[in-house]
Amino acid sequence: MDTMSLPNAEAVVARAKLGDPVALEALYTAYSTPAYNLARRICRTTEDAEDVLQETFFEVCRSIRNYRGEGSIWGWIRTVTSSKALMRLRRNKYRDTDDLTDELAPSRAGSHALRMDLETALAKLSETSRAVVWLHDVEGYTHEEIAAQMGKTVSFSKSQLARAHQRLRLWLGEEAFA
Amino acid sequence: MNTVHLSMEQLVAVRDSDRSEPAYAEGHRHIAVCVQCAAELERLHQRTARLRALPTLSPAQNQYPAVRTRVLWDRKQTRLRRIAGLTLAAAAMLVVTVIGRDLLTPTRLDAEQQIASAMTSSQQLERALVRINPDERVIDGRTAQLVIQLEDRIADLDDQLAQAATLQREARLRRMVALWQERVGLMNALVDVHVTKASNVDL
Repeated sequence: MDTMSLPNAEAVVARAKLGDPVALEALYTAYSTPAYNLARRICRTTEDAEDVLQETFFEVCRSIRNYRGEGSIWGWIRTVTSSKALMRLRRNKYRDTDDLTDELAPSRAGSHALRMDLETALAKLSETSRAVVWLHDVEGYTHEEIAAQMGKTVSFSKSQLARAHQRLRLWLGEEAFA
Repeated sequence: MNTVHLSMEQLVAVRDSDRSEPAYAEGHRHIAVCVQCAAELERLHQRTARLRALPTLSPAQNQYPAVRTRVLWDRKQTRLRRIAGLTLAAAAMLVVTVIGRDLLTPTRLDAEQQIASAMTSSQQLERALVRINPDERVIDGRTAQLVIQLEDRIADLDDQLAQAATLQREARLRRMVALWQERVGLMNALVDVHVTKASNVDL
């Protein structure tokens, strides 16, 4: 997704900064799907992800003048999206734990009955672990960037990433970790 | 042989070449000699690749019309706040002048009290609206349309209030009582629409 580009991006952004509605809609058309995908991977429900998408592009339309062209336009929109999605998590205050039952029964981890597909396992992670693993391993954010966005420490981000992989490993039914 | 294998945190540090992690160097050496941990590292790589290969999820519907409506509403609200602030200040000065001049005229005092009361209510509702903080809330397209209609009507009223200031004293007081009371009604509706998301507002 880092390679995503908009034809004539600079010209479109320049027009969007002047409030051109066609340019603003072009930004939405180009980046709404990856922004939604990021929001959906972090948020628990499609409704939350759709709200985050709307909030993101409202912010983009309102604040595009503040975008200074440092980094790609998608990089900027992506940061707005992840920030809005993390804010939504904090606002919703979901019970932020994943299923401990499986953790307490590692001997069953290899069972085909318990083996999940990756989508299900990812959805089963706690909000925080899922956000960290997605932002770090898929979107390519550093632990420093994630910590800053979450208002946590770098160590917290690292431990959440390791925790996420431990859970995924267990739930995906991969060979038991010695 | 009793071998201590790498923790997941160490494996991730090795995968990411994270040299800031104290156990990185030791982990790196261990991987070179431990078949099990090397296999675990490979599984970690594969799992990460699978995460990156998950299908891209798309929104069920185009959200841009709602975004556009909200942007227009936001711009309009900013403009209206500026106008309303100026109008309120002008109206307040006018009322103070009128009250000061006609303080001893009982028939006018009643109208002036009604204006002052309506202005106080209107200001309280403005503050309530600020507390609701509508800019930070997501609203649907229908609600946004209702908000725009209400704000248009409030803007019209503010124009009429400014025009009423030019009328003769008696006519001006009558007109301003009616306009301020109508403004309170519309402000009430505007607060309601933000609180109830338009469910109980009938324009």
